[in-house]
Order: sequence, then structure tokens, then C-alpha cells
Amino acid sequence: MEFTGISGGVLILGIGVAVVALLILMYGIGIYNRLIALKNRFKNAFAQIDVQLKRRYDLIPNLVETAKGYMKHERETLEAVIQARNTAASAGQQAAAQPGNPQAMHGLASAEGVLTGVMTRFMALMENYPDLKANTNMLALQEELTSTENKIAFARQAYNDAVMEYNTAREVFPNSIVAGFGDFPPAELFEVSAPDQREAVKVQF
Amino acid sequence: MAPAQIVVVPQSPACRPMDFFEHQARARRKTFQLVAYFLAAVVCIIAAVYLAIAGVLFYYGGWGERGAAPTLWLPEVFLVVSAGTLVIISAGTIYKTLALSGGGETVARTLGGRQVSPNTRDLAERILLNVVEEMAIASGTPVPPVYVMDNERSINAFAAGTTPQNAVIGVTRGTIETLKRDELQGVIAHEFSHILNGDMRLNIRLIAVLNGILLIAMIGYILMRTGGSSRSYFSSNKKGGNPLPLVGLLLYIIGYVGVFFGHLIKSAVSRQREFLADAAAVQFTRYPEGIAGALKKIGGLADGSRIRSERAEEASHMYFGNGLRQPFVQLLATHPPLMERIRRVDPRFDGQFPRTAPVAHTADELVDPQRLAARLSAGEHVHVAAVAGASAFARRPTAAVENVGQLDAEHVAYASALVNELPLEVASTVRDPLGAVAVVYALLLNVDDAEVRRTQLAYLADKADPRANAETLHIVAFVGQVRPEARLPLVAMTLPALKSLSPRQRQGFGDDVSFLIKADNRVSLFEYAVHRLIVTRLVDRLAHRPPRSAEPRTMTRLVPAMTALLSTLAQWGSTDDAAARQAFEESVRILPGKPGSIALLPRDKCNLRTLDMALDYLAGVGPEIKKPILQACAACIAADGKATVEEAEIMRVIADALDCPMPPLMELGETG
Repeated sequence: MEFTGISGGVLILGIGVAVVALLILMYGIGIYNRLIALKNRFKNAFAQIDVQLKRRYDLIPNLVETAKGYMKHERETLEAVIQARNTAASAGQQAAAQPGNPQAMHGLASAEGVLTGVMTRFMALMENYPDLKANTNMLALQEELTSTENKIAFARQAYNDAVMEYNTAREVFPNSIVAGFGDFPPAELFEVSAPDQREAVKVQF
Repeated sequence: MAPAQIVVVPQSPACRPMDFFEHQARARRKTFQLVAYFLAAVVCIIAAVYLAIAGVLFYYGGWGERGAAPTLWLPEVFLVVSAGTLVIISAGTIYKTLALSGGGETVARTLGGRQVSPNTRDLAERILLNVVEEMAIASGTPVPPVYVMDNERSINAFAAGTTPQNAVIGVTRGTIETLKRDELQGVIAHEFSHILNGDMRLNIRLIAVLNGILLIAMIGYILMRTGGSSRSYFSSNKKGGNPLPLVGLLLYIIGYVGVFFGHLIKSAVSRQREFLADAAAVQFTRYPEGIAGALKKIGGLADGSRIRSERAEEASHMYFGNGLRQPFVQLLATHPPLMERIRRVDPRFDGQFPRTAPVAHTADELVDPQRLAARLSAGEHVHVAAVAGASAFARRPTAAVENVGQLDAEHVAYASALVNELPLEVASTVRDPLGAVAVVYALLLNVDDAEVRRTQLAYLADKADPRANAETLHIVAFVGQVRPEARLPLVAMTLPALKSLSPRQRQGFGDDVSFLIKADNRVSLFEYAVHRLIVTRLVDRLAHRPPRSAEPRTMTRLVPAMTALLSTLAQWGSTDDAAARQAFEESVRILPGKPGSIALLPRDKCNLRTLDMALDYLAGVGPEIKKPILQACAACIAADGKATVEEAEIMRVIADALDCPMPPLMELGETG
């Protein structure tokens, strides 16, 4: 291999190729950063849900405790409420450990669906106990619960919006190529399919 | 009497050595100086790269025609090399600037930070958020998002961002687990000093240019690895072999030498600023034991303040403590020696570091310790302080501007008391996204006119998110108990939670807020303040960033913006035209150069958008001009000789829009 000197053309070409390669690399890094940002956004959004879910899991035993004195013949329902609450709480822990993970999110969604179902039954039964309904402690707890549920629903909407934005971003070209290089699995929405949780409870003033 | 009021009251130099505006002006000049240093460094690098490449060519037998005499001066090579080097350095710089222009969040995430949920129920995190919130309200800056680096066991913290508006604060897990509230407050006060002094923007520029220089070294490294691995770089065969590895090696060396000198400059700046921030932390908390205690605990920890993240290097000079291994040369250290920092705040320190262990936090630490709160205990005292501040503001509106950037321990205690005094229901709900939305709606409901209120409530029931409507009705009675002086700070408190709304939710929220504001067909100053604090930042910024104006230096260039700003403040702050005219004229008199073409705009020409645009435009002007602008605004707001507590608070929102954070107006001992 005889070397006799580099011509100016080759040098310019080399620098040109390097600049283009650099620009492509920068573009790729830009996409990567955006995907990271979107991933963090939906994880943050889940953290907001998580805080209120825990609040709800704390409130429910208090509610049951207050009701116990009045609803002596409804032990089964009360136990079902506690049972569903415990299942949901542990599903919530798993989901919080890996927000967006399809399995964890499905687990939480179905546990939440069950909990919402038994809570509806519990609330309906309470109609039969006027004394309990008038109990100030009960009223305060119920109001707190409604407010917490609204907060969960609102935060869930933000989470689902963020997940959709992330999923779209990782699927479109050329992001999909970049997504292949990093840890960007598809994220799962958090949808609770209980009929009455979609409607906010109206509070009268 | 009137003319005497408008005169700017000079501050006694003994009391406050340099005001915020002078400080900012000086910081700008220093920045120019540093940029000049860096430009010189870039020129040196170009020269070095050229010499390296020309040298290699010379060594390999020259350029151009075979047989021509080899020479070291090759103009074409010089052109190509300078262009190439400049392209590489600017590519690296621009890339890093873009990567960091997303605000401090990018830096925080790079370092492995996790955003603390504003409604967290973890005690240590809650204490941290409360300390940050109090400091933000006290200083007049937006409450920054807070990040915790869960994998870092050492004691360290940082502030990152380009302006106070997009700043974030990050702390290590070790910090919140081993520091007591007082010590944590010292650390956070230190970081706020960086935010208030604009250290962060300079930091980001330095990081970016260093990244550009580093890129040369990286390209050199890549070239070194290409080809010639089988051959020695200094092959005995003079005419043979691939020269690229040799060029690569030289580029690698040049790049790292450049980075070394860049570090020297960066570190010198950084060390000076750390001392300033330590001193500021003492001023903000008036409790040297706090920050001294934190520094001593760093000394007592095996890990000290070391950041283990692989990316620790790039943000090294933003940290509270030295985040890297102690370098061999003190000149390269980003932070002054720990012992020296401690001795400056605690001269009696014996040099014996305590054994650092995790502390068990208690719920008492959620609120400011009695030490400071006693001076301004919650309730009446806060109210008295606020009313005194408002009346001082009414008497000498322009003097209020002297307070910009002058945070004091009393302000922090005031903010702490203010937050503690909020009705429990409001305080607990305002940190949740939905709760924050509801608090803003409730604050905007009209209290004077039942008809307007009915329209607003009907709108919420009909158009707003049903959950937001329900929560508003739930919270409205408690929001009604909030004292006037706490109303705008409460709005500021909603921001961290509101940031987690999705773009769609933000849009709906922005529409609702706009409707509530315009329901009575006029905009009050309070409503504007809400719009500016919330809507401008959350909704409008999504669509477009305000252009940074190219620093208009003369007053005449500012006339349209000043006309819009002062007219709108005058119209919205007064009930009738005569009062508005008087307020406008009084404020114009303060502007230097007596611009003749400035005239009051009619009320229908004043709207939210013009005022926003005027403020965004004026935010770009130099600090020397901002001072009279703010003084004119103050004079306009307080023109009727009276100022409500809310008006005094609105002054802080205007100041914040101009990047001039202003602490709450209170009658401090040394004023007057």
C-alpha cells in the first residue's frame, strides 16, 4: 500500500460524510430522548394515580369499621369489601412497581373492577340503614371517598393520554427504529370497566 | 407630596451591598468574559488541529503535486481544518444546548432522577416538597418540580434549568434520609441561590461548549480505532501506512487538552459561586447551623457527596457538594474544600466530622420549626405582616422594587406560616391534579355579583369535566376561607400538580379558566395574575414558546410594549377612566428619557394576549432597564394611594414575568 498524500477532495468528502453521519446521529438521539421523556411522563402520571389509590385503600376499612356497628346482618358483604380491597391493594403495588406493564395493569384493572362492584353493592345496602346514612363520620368518609375516586378517574385520564402519546411515538417511523435500540416496550392503558365509575358522583350543595 | 413619592429611594450601601439588577448586570458581563475565554480556546484548538494535520501530512511527504517541496503552510488544508473543527464544535454545542433546553428535567432524568409526585405521602419526600414550596413562595419564583435520585446514597443536590420558570431541584436519596429539616432547608436555600442568581443558564452554556470540544476528542478516538490497528502509529516506513490513526491520536489529545482547559475555567467559576450560595443559604434561613450541619454530615459519610451515575460528570458543577472523586489538582475541583466551606459558615468547627446515620423523620418536620415560625406565628401575625407590606407598598411603590431578589429568613418564615395557615382541606387537595384544577376554579368564582357567579357555575356544570365540577363544589367553601394574602401563593402552589395534566386536559382547563375570567366582561388584576401564573405557562407555552427578543437597549424601542403594559395595568386596576388616566400618567413619569409618544390605550384595546406579549417582550431586556419598568408598574398599581394585599401580590407576579423574583412585601425591621 503506497501512500502519496491525501487529496483535498477526499478530505472534504470525508468531512462531509462525517457531518451527515453526525446529523443523523443527533436526530436519532433526539428521538431517543423524546421517547424517554414520554415514558417518564406516563410513569409520573401513574404515580399520581397510585397516591390516590392508596388513599382509597386506606379509607375503605374505616368505612367498613363505621358501618359494622349498624349493618350487623351484612357480614358477608363487608367481608367481600375487605377482601376485594386487599386484592386491589396488592395488585396496585405490583402495578406501581412497573407502570404500563400489560400484565400488571390488567391485574390492577380487574381487581379495581371487582372492588368497584362490591362497593356499589355495599352503598346500595346502606340505603336500608337510615341511622348509618345520617352518621356524621360516615358522611365525611363517603364524601372523602367520592372525592378520592374522582381524583383517581381524573389522574387515570391523564395517564391514558400519556400512554397513548407514548405508544404512538414509539410506533411511527423512524422512531420505531430508534425504539428498537432501547427499552421501550408498549405500555398498557388503565381502564376500569365498571359501569358506574365512569360517571362522576354529583354532590349537592 | 406626589413628586417626592416617585423619587427612587437610594438604598444605604451598608445594608445591601448590591441590588439584584446590578448583580444581574455584572453576571452578564462576566458571562461575556467567559464566552471570550472560550472563543480563545476554540481558536487555539483550531490552530492545534491544523498543526497536527499539517504535521502528519508533512511527515507523510506533503501535499499536492508529487515532488513539490513539503511545507507546513497549506492554506487549503487550513481552510478545511478550521471549517471542520468549527462544524464539529458547534454541532456538539448545539446538540447539547438543544438537549438541555427542555429545562432542568432533562438533566434530572439524565442523572437517574425520579420526579416526586406532588401529592406524595412518603414522609421524607413530603418534608422535602414542603421545604421547596416555602422557599419558592418566599422568593417569588414558581414552585419547581422536585426529583429524587433513588440510587444515590450520598448527600448531594442540584438545581438545573435555564430560567427560574423551568428550573428543577434534585436531591439524592441519602439527602432526605440523613438530613434533618433544618439541614435540608440549608441545602435547598443554597440551590435557590443558584436559581435566583441565574447561575444555571451559564452552567448550561459551559456544559454545551465543553461537549463540543469533547466531540473532537471522541472523533479522534474513532479515527484512532479505524484501520491501522496492525501497524504501529510511528511506522518506520515513512511513506507507508494509514495516517488516520495518527491524526486520530492527535485529535484525541487536542480534544482532551481543550476539555482540560475548559474544566479549569468552569471550575474556577463554579467554586466562587459555591461560596456565594453558601452565604446566601445563611441569609435565607438565618441559621448557619443548618447548612453547616449538612456539610458536616457529608464529611461524616463514607460516600460523602459522590454521585455514582455514569453521567455525573456533565452536571458536576451544579451540585451542592463535590459530586466527583477529588481531582489531583485543586484547580480542577468544582467545589471548594469541604473544610473551608464549613469554616466559612461555622468558624468554630473543630474538624471532627460526626458519624452520619439516617434520621427518623417525624411529622413535626412537615412545618417550619418553632425557631422561625415563632417570629411570625401563623394567623394574625402573617396577616399583619401582609397588611403592613401592602401599606408600605402604597406609600412608596417604587421602593418595593428594591426587594427583588433579596430573600430573607423572615420571608421564608412568612411563607411557611402562610402555607400552614391554609384550611386543611385546601392544603391537602391542592397537591393533587384534580384538586388543583378545582382550587383554581373556586378562586375564580365571583363573590360580589351573584348573577355572574350563577353564569360561572352553570358553565362549569355544563362544559367543564364533571369530576372537576364536583370537586370544585366540594372545595369552594374552604377556598372562601383563604385570606387575601394567601390567594396568589395558593395559585402558585397548584402549579406542580397541574403540570401532570395531559395536553388534552390542559387545553380544556385553559378554556374553562378563560371563560371564568371573562364571565363578567372585565378582567381584574387578580384574574390576570391567575392567567399569567397558570394559563400562560401551562397551555399557551404548549403551542408556542415566546421568542427571546434581541435585547432592545433604548427606551424608544420599548414604547409599544410599555404602552400596552402600563395601559392594561392602569385600566384593569381602576374602576373609572379618570383614575386609569391618573395611574398611567403617574407611572410614565418614572420611565427614564421621558418618552413622548406614550399614550394610554382605551380599555377595549387591553386584553390578556397583548399584556402577555408585552411582558414576554420586556422579559428579554437588560437588567438595568427592567428596574425602571418594574418601578413604573409598581407606581401604576399603587397610584390611588391605597394598595390591597392582593395588589401587592400582583406586583410579584409581574416581577416574576420579567424574571425578577420578588419576595413578599412585608414591613421588615431594616426597611424605612
